Amino acid sequence: MRLRVSFDVPTRRDLRVFGGYCVAAAVYIAIGATWIDFLFSFWVGLAYVVITAWAVPTLVRRLA
Amino acid sequence: MSWAAHDLEPYAIQKHTKLKLAFVPLLIGSYSPDMMTKWFVYGIHLGPWDLKASDPAQFHRGWPGFGFTHSFIYGVAVGLLIWKVFGSKLWGVSFIVGQFAHAITDTGDTVGTMLLFPWTFHFHLGAWAYAGQTGRMTDAAAYFSGLGSMWDLVFVVYGLWSWRVLTSSYFDNYIYRADAFWPWLNRWVPRGALVTVYRAAFFYGTSRWIAWTVWAHVIHHYPYDLSWGGPHWVPAAHP
Repeated sequence: MRLRVSFDVPTRRDLRVFGGYCVAAAVYIAIGATWIDFLFSFWVGLAYVVITAWAVPTLVRRLA
Repeated sequence: MSWAAHDLEPYAIQKHTKLKLAFVPLLIGSYSPDMMTKWFVYGIHLGPWDLKASDPAQFHRGWPGFGFTHSFIYGVAVGLLIWKVFGSKLWGVSFIVGQFAHAITDTGDTVGTMLLFPWTFHFHLGAWAYAGQTGRMTDAAAYFSGLGSMWDLVFVVYGLWSWRVLTSSYFDNYIYRADAFWPWLNRWVPRGALVTVYRAAFFYGTSRWIAWTVWAHVIHHYPYDLSWGGPHWVPAAHP
């Protein structure tokens, strides 16, 4: 019997999306670590991620 | 208490249930036990008044107090109410699962939760110190120095390992289809924004975990103490 190991490999598009979220997260973390009040609210986090991970990229794509 | 697990657990639960649960009430259920109480545990300034519980641990987890919000009976009662009011069994059950996850996770600290309220026994593993009574900043420093933050990290890693649960195709095939809430919201909000909203709690929990860790250990140099019941440099509350 031969064991086959398979890995669920993300596509290039998946990685590009993930990279975008990582950049947004890096900025969020930098702001939050220096101005801690920024981390307290889920709603602030929700608004932040919708703006940075969806609204801005959508706007840039439309303008390009 | 947990600082990020309640944001992250719903994704792990979702991965194993797929169509059987609705994500939004699952997340609301996961947040619900602390929704009414956290502000009074840490205290707030309201004009000339300082509002804070005289015994935060008792108020948060005990009886008399709001500890019943961390019990199974509370989850079932609110879940049944949601079922009755909104006419959605799916929303009611999903809320219950999320609330149960919160109540069980919080048994990890030194105060624990009254899972079987009205029996007021506190189920507690005592793995990390409950330090809500010391104020928000010291509580954060303690939490992110002990095993509680490692428990959160398990869910961060598990979420990243189960990355498919965060993809737009997963959202389309499972999350969107499972719950009429998403098509309803889709009347006004584009699909791309809905996917981002779905991912928001994972983003929030993971980013906040990293930011608090940086704040506690890079900026302020609080010592790590991953021993059972730690960190022992903070006075832990007990039931």
